[in-house]
Amino acid sequence: RTPRTMESTAPESKVQVRLSTRHADIELPEDPGPLLVSTALNRYNLSKLVNNLLHTDTHPIPFEFLVNGQFLRTTIDDFLTKHGISAETTLNVEYTRALIPPLHVSSFEHDDWVSAVDILSQSSPGGIWAKGVQSGQERILSASYDGLLRVWNMSGDAIATSTAPNNGGRITSLKAAKWISDQKIVAAGLDNVVRVYKYDEDERTITPSLDLYSHRWGVNDIAVHGPSNRILSASSDNTIALFSSTAKENPAAPSNLLPTSTIASNKRQRLSKPDKTVPSRGPLSTLSGHASPVSSILFKPEDATVAYSASHDHMLKTWDLPTSTCVDTRTTGHSLLSLAALPKLNLLATGTSARHITLIDPRASATQIAVMTLRGHTNAVVSLDSHPGSEYGLVSGSHDGTARIWDVRSLKASSGLGDGQVGEDVYTIQRDSGPGRSSGEGVKVFGVRWEQEVGIVSAGEDKRVQVNRQIGA
Amino acid sequence: NIDPESLLPKLPSPDELRPFPTTCAVIFRGQEGRVRSVSIDPSGIFVASGGDDGFVRIWELLTGRQLWNVKLSDEDAVDTVKWRPGKESAVLAAAAGESVFLIVPFTILSPDIEQNSRDLLDAGWGYAASKPSNTTNIAITKEPPAKWSRPGVRLESKGVLVQATVRSTIKVINWHRKGDYFATVSPRGQSSAVAIHTLSKHLTQLPFRKLKGLAQSAQFHPSKSIFFVATRNSIRSYDLAKQELVKILQPGAKWISSIDVHPGGDNLIVGTYDKRLLWHDLDLSTKPYKTLRYHQEAIRAVRYHPGGLPLFADASDDGSLQIFHGKVVGDLMENATIVPLKVLKGHKVKSRLGVMDVDWHPREPWCVSAGADGTCRLWN
Ligand SMILES: [Mg+2]
Repeated sequence: RTPRTMESTAPESKVQVRLSTRHADIELPEDPGPLLVSTALNRYNLSKLVNNLLHTDTHPIPFEFLVNGQFLRTTIDDFLTKHGISAETTLNVEYTRALIPPLHVSSFEHDDWVSAVDILSQSSPGGIWAKGVQSGQERILSASYDGLLRVWNMSGDAIATSTAPNNGGRITSLKAAKWISDQKIVAAGLDNVVRVYKYDEDERTITPSLDLYSHRWGVNDIAVHGPSNRILSASSDNTIALFSSTAKENPAAPSNLLPTSTIASNKRQRLSKPDKTVPSRGPLSTLSGHASPVSSILFKPEDATVAYSASHDHMLKTWDLPTSTCVDTRTTGHSLLSLAALPKLNLLATGTSARHITLIDPRASATQIAVMTLRGHTNAVVSLDSHPGSEYGLVSGSHDGTARIWDVRSLKASSGLGDGQVGEDVYTIQRDSGPGRSSGEGVKVFGVRWEQEVGIVSAGEDKRVQVNRQIGA
Repeated sequence: NIDPESLLPKLPSPDELRPFPTTCAVIFRGQEGRVRSVSIDPSGIFVASGGDDGFVRIWELLTGRQLWNVKLSDEDAVDTVKWRPGKESAVLAAAAGESVFLIVPFTILSPDIEQNSRDLLDAGWGYAASKPSNTTNIAITKEPPAKWSRPGVRLESKGVLVQATVRSTIKVINWHRKGDYFATVSPRGQSSAVAIHTLSKHLTQLPFRKLKGLAQSAQFHPSKSIFFVATRNSIRSYDLAKQELVKILQPGAKWISSIDVHPGGDNLIVGTYDKRLLWHDLDLSTKPYKTLRYHQEAIRAVRYHPGGLPLFADASDDGSLQIFHGKVVGDLMENATIVPLKVLKGHKVKSRLGVMDVDWHPREPWCVSAGADGTCRLWN
């Protein structure tokens, strides 16, 4: 007899588990009470057990299991040993849908680098504000360094392309674009102007309708809030501007920033023969306090009178918009390049030039600067979005040419680097055009968005918008 | 029994001296032939490059996107580019052949920044026009040290607005901190090798009619009216107000390639074609305080971090950059702490030329290098 079979005949160690979930649609039909299971079980075995109890054996749902808030990545036995938990205790085991590998669905090719993407769908912010987006009518908005906006359907047809702005011969490369409703788009970039566009699906047109002037250097990011028609823009001039998307609500534009304001640019403006003039307006207010370019801006998800900003000056700031004041500043160790909110966890995620993502609790009561650090990217993390269905999930886009999916409950075994706990990515999405590399040459990801109906949409230096979806999720 | 080694102060380990650049984050491609010079703008958003293809290019620092370019010359390489200090304007100086070109790259500027920049460059035309004309003055028979002119419609339509032409090829441009003066060095220029130009007057002066040795570099002191001139073997500092020689530094080098003055003004680094990097403490002797030999080939450029971080870098023909910690204490009793931190590799050596230039970000521990391989690289 080999020792192997001898081992298997040894008495099996067992532990009591109590299964629960936070998601009503996958709750067990009847509470089985504490179950006595083998400690040799791992995630896969437990997933089979739950599918059995749910009678979903024919179409099993992959589950993940959390014990004391941490993912089970080993056998129960190893988990108990590692955390010094006695097998005598009853384990509370929470189960949740596993993140499924996001498969490449399609890519939409552009003529130039694609800097930003946004999604219009039933559950996207723009779709919710519009109240008119039908299922199957999802749209993707892309902004390019060629200065143009494009709207795509999910089959990859470019339904409409914007007309180029007339700005006195200056560069038009775009850096940010958002749906504020199903008929209104806001975009901005290196010519410092925040533009509102009218999108007409029937006419297949994207037409500039309002030029908003405040910034003296390029705009890196914008945030929109449909119900109040508010726009926030983050600029390399170290300021943030607040505008209304309705022209008449804004004051007159600062004259020194208009393309017609100087002899030289006015001459160029006239030479380029604008076909139509668009109204120009100035900001409702500007927010000053950052000492370096502001990379990202966000309305607080549950309160649009509050905004968060992240800057190259290493700071994350909280702003009270009615009074235009900075109410809180968190200083980190690196240039901050991207920002997303995890509202249910009271956390903000911010991507850095130092290749990681830092999770920060922006509440005044929080004492720890960084709650958690997510490591895995090999170049700057320049775009972030939250999971549409899980308060723990995030997607990040990096100059390393990958987008990564994170679950903040997925921790690295050990780190000892400070900055709280260290998380690792659950899945890495490569570019359809080629694998990622730390220098990012040719494959840098500039923008990511994630919505339930569409999946993960990413855009980058490979001149593509790429759609990845978790089939079966 | 005491080990004498144990009495020496311990140097800190590189791990304790973070942050410093360790990895290549961006490769800037698009230049044809060698890139000879790089300069990051005062806001830290753009990087300008110049090289053998005669082009000046401006790139988005973090993405590597080429945003603007102009061809300055069909025959000459662009040997050096330098942004003028100051954030209310955006003026780039670039040298090709015997000329310095002053550029306002308006396509990437807001109208008001463009106007501020144009006003700076235009002021001198008025000054020049108000002077008595040289041509009618028989007493002035000598050629002026530089001819200031408009570069012509093609270049002006791109924002290249002023051209100042001296007598021989310019290899170095360095601005005074206030941005009204800049110095140029033409190593083959003999008595006109070092020129100081006044932007607001379109005026060029030759302060050193009798320079001992061949000029290699020249730089203004960061806060005092002192001017440093490096020849092949030595560095002289002059008091510009008193018009007198202050000090002669003897690095013991066969051939100096470049120098840089510490932002505090009391220390100076020297790179040499004979592969050495030398640190001079101006409060100590005229000999170097430290000699660093880390490279297999010539050192072409040396640069201190300008924004308060205790870092300096050099660039070598062996294809690498070396990053050092260099901490200066404002205490006469304590000398600078120098620790080698990192060798940055990536540039390919082409025709025995490697890394031609290096510049630091104004605030962050990031630097950009210019390579003979036709690329620039951002390291962070
Ligand atoms: Mg000293």
